[in-house]
Amino acid sequence: MSDHDDHHAPQPWGPHDWHHGAPHNSFSPLFLSMGVAISLFGLAAAWDYGTYNPGHIPTILLGLLVVGFSMFIWWRQDISFDGHYDPISTGTPFRGIQVRKVATWVFLMSEMMVFTSLFSTYMRYRLGIENCGTVFERGMFDPVTNPTGWQEGVAVTCFEPASHLIASSWWHLAPGAVNTFALILSSFTVVQALRYAKMPDLDEEARRKKVYRYLASTWCLAVLFLTLKMVEWFVGFYVPEISFIGLHEHDIVSLVDEGYTINADHYQHHSYIDEATGAHMVANIQVSASLFYVTTGTHGAHVAGGIIGLTYMTFKAWKGLYTPANAVSIEYFGLYWHFVDLIWVLVFPFFYLY
Amino acid sequence: MERKTLVTRSMVALILISIAMVVSPAVNSLPTGVGGTGIQSSGCNCHSAVPTATVDITVDGLPEEYNASETYTVTVSFSGGPVESGINSGGFNLWASGGEFSVLDATVESRAPAEVTHTEAGNDYRTWTVEWIAPSHGRDVDFIVHVNSVNGDGANSGDEWNRYDLTVAGSLGPGLDPADPFTVLATLIIISGLLLTITILYGFYRTNPDVFDWEHLAPWIADWLTTTDHKKIGTLYFVQGLFFLGVGGILAMMIRLQLAGPDMGFISQDQYNSFFTLHGTTMIFLAAMPLINGFANWIVPLQIGAPDLALPRINALSFWLQPFAALLIFTGVFSGQGADTGWTGYAPYIVSTGAHTGVTMWVAGQIMLVASSTLTGINFLTTMAVMRAEGMGWMQMPLFTWSILVANLMLFLSIPAFGVGLIQVYLDRTISTAFYDIAAGGDPLLWSHLFWYFGHPEVYVVIVPAFGVISEVLATSARRSIFGYKSMVLAMAGIGIVAFIVYGHHMFTSGMSPNLRFITMLTTMLVAVPTGVKIFNWLKTLHGGSLVYRTHTLWALGFLVTFTLGGISGMFFPSITMDAHLHETYFVVAHFHYVLVGGTVFGFFAAIYYWYPKMTGRMLDEKLGTLHFLTAFVTYNGIFWPMHRLGVIGMPRRTHTYFITTEDFTALPEWAADWNMFISVCAFLFFFSNFILVANMLISLVRGQKAPADPWGGWSFEWMTASPPPTPSFDWNNLPVLKDANEHIANEPSAIGRWFNRLMVPEDQEEVSH
Repeated sequence: MSDHDDHHAPQPWGPHDWHHGAPHNSFSPLFLSMGVAISLFGLAAAWDYGTYNPGHIPTILLGLLVVGFSMFIWWRQDISFDGHYDPISTGTPFRGIQVRKVATWVFLMSEMMVFTSLFSTYMRYRLGIENCGTVFERGMFDPVTNPTGWQEGVAVTCFEPASHLIASSWWHLAPGAVNTFALILSSFTVVQALRYAKMPDLDEEARRKKVYRYLASTWCLAVLFLTLKMVEWFVGFYVPEISFIGLHEHDIVSLVDEGYTINADHYQHHSYIDEATGAHMVANIQVSASLFYVTTGTHGAHVAGGIIGLTYMTFKAWKGLYTPANAVSIEYFGLYWHFVDLIWVLVFPFFYLY
Repeated sequence: MERKTLVTRSMVALILISIAMVVSPAVNSLPTGVGGTGIQSSGCNCHSAVPTATVDITVDGLPEEYNASETYTVTVSFSGGPVESGINSGGFNLWASGGEFSVLDATVESRAPAEVTHTEAGNDYRTWTVEWIAPSHGRDVDFIVHVNSVNGDGANSGDEWNRYDLTVAGSLGPGLDPADPFTVLATLIIISGLLLTITILYGFYRTNPDVFDWEHLAPWIADWLTTTDHKKIGTLYFVQGLFFLGVGGILAMMIRLQLAGPDMGFISQDQYNSFFTLHGTTMIFLAAMPLINGFANWIVPLQIGAPDLALPRINALSFWLQPFAALLIFTGVFSGQGADTGWTGYAPYIVSTGAHTGVTMWVAGQIMLVASSTLTGINFLTTMAVMRAEGMGWMQMPLFTWSILVANLMLFLSIPAFGVGLIQVYLDRTISTAFYDIAAGGDPLLWSHLFWYFGHPEVYVVIVPAFGVISEVLATSARRSIFGYKSMVLAMAGIGIVAFIVYGHHMFTSGMSPNLRFITMLTTMLVAVPTGVKIFNWLKTLHGGSLVYRTHTLWALGFLVTFTLGGISGMFFPSITMDAHLHETYFVVAHFHYVLVGGTVFGFFAAIYYWYPKMTGRMLDEKLGTLHFLTAFVTYNGIFWPMHRLGVIGMPRRTHTYFITTEDFTALPEWAADWNMFISVCAFLFFFSNFILVANMLISLVRGQKAPADPWGGWSFEWMTASPPPTPSFDWNNLPVLKDANEHIANEPSAIGRWFNRLMVPEDQEEVSH
């Protein structure tokens, strides 16, 4: 039994009484770890080198359920947090700053390294593997005149950037472009939420509404981001005919439907056709496609994590529980959210434009 | 018993043990014919690639069932093969799994007690006679005969050979098969787990013997499972770390059992791969790192005057990720498909279908450990940046805290690279991405870069906290302040920076750019400079102090010796040419065990003896401690010192066995087998000597003397709290203040610090600052 506080029994499940300060007992770290382990176990059991084994999907779901449950405990304990107990830095050079704000910055440092590693991988493969366009331009194989050319039906191993598909027209680029603006806009709305939450002379109901609405719009923009990403990856969309601006009716095909899949070893871009013979160049683009999906997917996972956090914060704001005293926790989230935004600003040119 | 008597006795016991260890390999030299077994597996392939059935072998004189210890005259002969030409006619090799051969004439010579072959003179015959003295054990004995029928032209072409196996029954039937090493390992792990459970239950029983029932046990366990107090989490880390130190030790012992003699059959190459992978992973990630975190959790907040860590619940999360990661990593062991990639997990093998299926689980577990380490890093860096007591500037922090700061900074800036690499591998192995698929253009060197970008800082992450411990222990024991505090801090920071630009020396033979190799060579040699500064500062601390010999002092002095030796052997590797010779040999094994065991683990031992009274409020037994030091220190050196020599003669690491008499180019001289036996004996003694520590900890917890707040005369903050400290460790409303001898607050922020502070803190928040 924790003996630091006789009149306050520890509640490992329930809301904390934050007036008594830390530490608090909590079941959520234990269950969160368990859930992560079960999910990773289930994932590895369900997919083996691309072979799908649906019998293990319940294991993954169980793991996610446990993760969700533990996060529920975590939030339930946090929802009573009113800023009364928020440790303040005592050491220079951070004296006077909230401890958790510093922690968020430190966390972002390690996040920076995650994306640095991904970009290192990108640079290695982008610069180290020959571009598919270059291979195609060398022309068709001929033992005498063109010994390094490509052959019909023989997959060439080369690097095919997704931008070759995405940046091929304005409409192909549209989801990514809209996403960029959505994220930048959401960085603005989250700051507005913070601004109104911190505003000292604001009516309680007005504050509730402002904070709740700005957080909710951040949530909507983040969800829009992921939705458009799914459209771009898997669904595609339809462009209607608008004759007076010269737009003709056509379909924008998703990346996956174009054959740009995560392990495409016989990918064929529609422009890789030899004009003289009509022969197709097929390419093994597994590395470039894996890189595209995993890097943008890692960013997407960060957005998804943000959405989960935002869901909780919007709920808390809707309950009117943000006050100037604890508004700074919106700032902690905002720091993370700006970081995710900033990463997108790097991912977008490297993977979508160039 | 007086302390003096005990020391004398343990010295005598140790000398006797040492003599026994030196003698035992000689009396034990290789009972089962070592040499011919290379032939047993590969055949007489110098005479042609495959055996020929027309060579017909006859073995006369062996009974159906032998009588124990009786002598039989055995005749080996053959017919068939090429026609005799009058010069050379044939040769043979006879190997038995038991008993002994004795030579009757000059045509036959003995290779080993149970193996005979022809001499030069014997080449002129096609019949040989030899005596076999049956063993006394009465088990079945296997014989393997190889003969070659030669045409006498002096060359190998046209020669033929064949093999013949037979078994002579003994009165007791077949012998016992060696146990499956995985079964042995799993059994030992389960037994260790049971012992741990019993110990924990006993621990609960000791808290209050009257209420030993489920109603009180359940909340007690629940409190430990849900705690966010830094001291309790530290204790949890210790329980995990020491448990896995034991598991890693069991793995090491099984490996040493296999390597005790040449060509042992206990662990196959396939299983051996899993064993050394698990040994490395367990020791680094599940033993060393948790032990560091245990000390860091316990001591850092106490040393800087903080009531707890900055993020207590995150701290609990970083702990709980570890046992579940361990479960994932060890799933392979129980399925017999443990990860077999080495702790480095080199691509492309790690993503190939040839690797064990347990690799996926190993990777999954490692991903969780990466998450755990990242969270720990965030937590500690924040704590040290923001929660130092008033007056404690950066350069007033105790050196142990500094070492944890440097270690965590290195760790959390490097481990994301490893994490990203692991996720790539995990996706390669599950949803079939192609990051390391060579056919698709993937580059295995990329993995090496990502891994070693993390892996090299990681080895400093486990050694630097030991530096911190030694600095604390030596200063306290020498009853003076540490010599050259600033240079100590700068040296650690220097190691932390250099760590990121030296990792290429792990890849000298991988085909990386020669220019990069040269640069890495220079930077790696640079590491010796800050490390040397530390060593000399410690020596100077001793020189100016008046040393009190406590157990932790002994361990710290032992650390100085072994770590310096490990550092010197490490200086061979940056030299590219030396590295090309020594890499992948036991010289490497000797080096990194000298720094990881002689450095890190000895540092931990010193720390355990030093801070145990603070953590439990009980003193450890100094007599048992001295005994532990003497036995463990001597046997430890007995394990790893000879490995240098084995490495220099080229004994390969990551290989399940070695041969000493075949013509194979990997064959070692005969004395290599003696040294390996010596190493194995020492290894077992070292393993068991550490149970003295475990016993000491458990016994002292119950019967130890009550510890005062400051048993050793230390002067950092942790000695100013009670033993054990209260919870929260310091009162939130009355935090300690560090003052100098004139009762002034020790540190005021510099101009840069004040400017930075103004930059960081908005004006409307300044009133909350202290």
